[in-house]
Amino acid sequence: MNNVLKFKNKKNTVAAQDEIYNFAYLDENTKRMIRRALIKALCIPGYQVPFSSREMPMPYGWGTGGVQVTSSCLTTDDVIKVIDQGADDTTNAVSIRNFFKKTANIETTEKTSQASIIQTRHRIPEEKLKEKQILVYQVPIPEPLAFLEPRYQETKKMHALSEYGIMHVKLYEDITKNGHIETAYAYPVKTNERYIMDPSPIPKFDNPKMNNNPAIQLFGAGREQRIYAIPPYTEVTSLDFEDYPFDPSKAPHKCSICGSNESFLDEIITDDDGNRSFICSDTNYCNQRMENN
Amino acid sequence: MQPILSVHNLNKYYGNQVGCKNMNLTLYPGEVVGVVGESGSGKTTFINSISGNLIPDSGKILIETGNETIDFLEISESLKRLLIRTELAFVHQNPRDGLRLDVSAGGNISERLMSIGQRNYGNIRQTIFKWLDKVEIDKSRVDDFPRTFSGGMLQRLQIAKNLVTSPKIIFMDEPTGGLDVSVQAKILDLLRKLVRELNLSVVIVSHDLAVIRLLADKIIVMKNGEAVESGLCDQVLDDPQHSYTQLLVSSVLQV
Repeated sequence: MNNVLKFKNKKNTVAAQDEIYNFAYLDENTKRMIRRALIKALCIPGYQVPFSSREMPMPYGWGTGGVQVTSSCLTTDDVIKVIDQGADDTTNAVSIRNFFKKTANIETTEKTSQASIIQTRHRIPEEKLKEKQILVYQVPIPEPLAFLEPRYQETKKMHALSEYGIMHVKLYEDITKNGHIETAYAYPVKTNERYIMDPSPIPKFDNPKMNNNPAIQLFGAGREQRIYAIPPYTEVTSLDFEDYPFDPSKAPHKCSICGSNESFLDEIITDDDGNRSFICSDTNYCNQRMENN
Repeated sequence: MQPILSVHNLNKYYGNQVGCKNMNLTLYPGEVVGVVGESGSGKTTFINSISGNLIPDSGKILIETGNETIDFLEISESLKRLLIRTELAFVHQNPRDGLRLDVSAGGNISERLMSIGQRNYGNIRQTIFKWLDKVEIDKSRVDDFPRTFSGGMLQRLQIAKNLVTSPKIIFMDEPTGGLDVSVQAKILDLLRKLVRELNLSVVIVSHDLAVIRLLADKIIVMKNGEAVESGLCDQVLDDPQHSYTQLLVSSVLQV
């Protein structure tokens, strides 16, 4: 492939959109198949729809599911933003952004408010999302029951019959061991009062943002070949106990760059003496605050 | 009084081979029915077929829930699974089959409670302690993993896990198999106590006549997949009519 690429590039002047690729990399039939899965997923919030995941030019675990979903949703008018743990400038985010720039020749942005599609790994942007925005999550393990019930056939039945007692066993074990619900990321949620769903490894701090969100939320798991979704304005509740209610929790610090009290923070070790500081995990949010001040 | 469970002409074949044939059973509330027979006589096939673990080829199973009679083989799978986790309980011979080994003892007991919608940690914890006490497991072991338990404790834990939602019918497949004699005696003692205290209706399978004699009110003797004799426990064991039952009774070791 690389040789062909070089050859082509040599012959023609470098085209804006590399003509070796179909728009946004995937072929039209594949996109159609994925769009069908997406529509089904939107109709049954939280239900995992199987799809025939394609081999992508990146390893599993790097967002192959998210990229396929994004690719199927893209139009030439879209503006894309890609974040990895909230940051626009990490390897995964930069390379996926470049991937779509190259294969779809579309506009990219780092500003949450200007993006029409945001592909994310493990965060929801701090800035409130709006209608007509799409948030695409990269999902490593879509099955919330997988760690408790290894048999896939059985988990399918449990979903179908809403047999979710075992999910609370996990939370019970957490409280018993630690005195509180220790699960801090990939915190299970119930979607539209029906399906229990793994929100992908976002911090539980972000869980409340999924509830009643005006944007479309799509989840793609490439290796596991599953797509699921939350339509706009859908009720999403985090599981808990009456006497141990859900607590989004947050490090009791301010961002040492922008001073925000509200955003989710990354802890950074600053020297060999163990000194540390906290900064916003959402880089765009942090930058915007600095610009406005 | 209506029987809580009645089985009519139940058949289960494995290909051409008979699993169990023409089996009938009537279980009244508070009654214990024992099923005995040699290895391969179809005891386990029978109990699996009437408890929802296996699907029998033909026959009828009726369960009385108090306000309605349920045809167990005709109901939807969702209702069947709901019944299995609320009204029915199954105690396996090997407690490892009935427990989650990577979940603490308390977590194992709590699963059924949470599956019927209990969401208060404090109350669930209380119930767990009550049941640990009932099956004579020390309360300090509540957060330990089952793999650190002895065989007898595992079996007692499995019993607690199954009885916590007060099921109406309990199926037991060789609950004392594989345990040494003194532990067997303890488990039997416990079972007898629970049966009396909670007025449990039990179908128990065992090849051990002593176990059946101790626990059961009625008995079914099986051979080659068929019931050869049935009746009141004392009557059948003291005055066996069928030659196989006579053989079985006379072959019990007298110590």
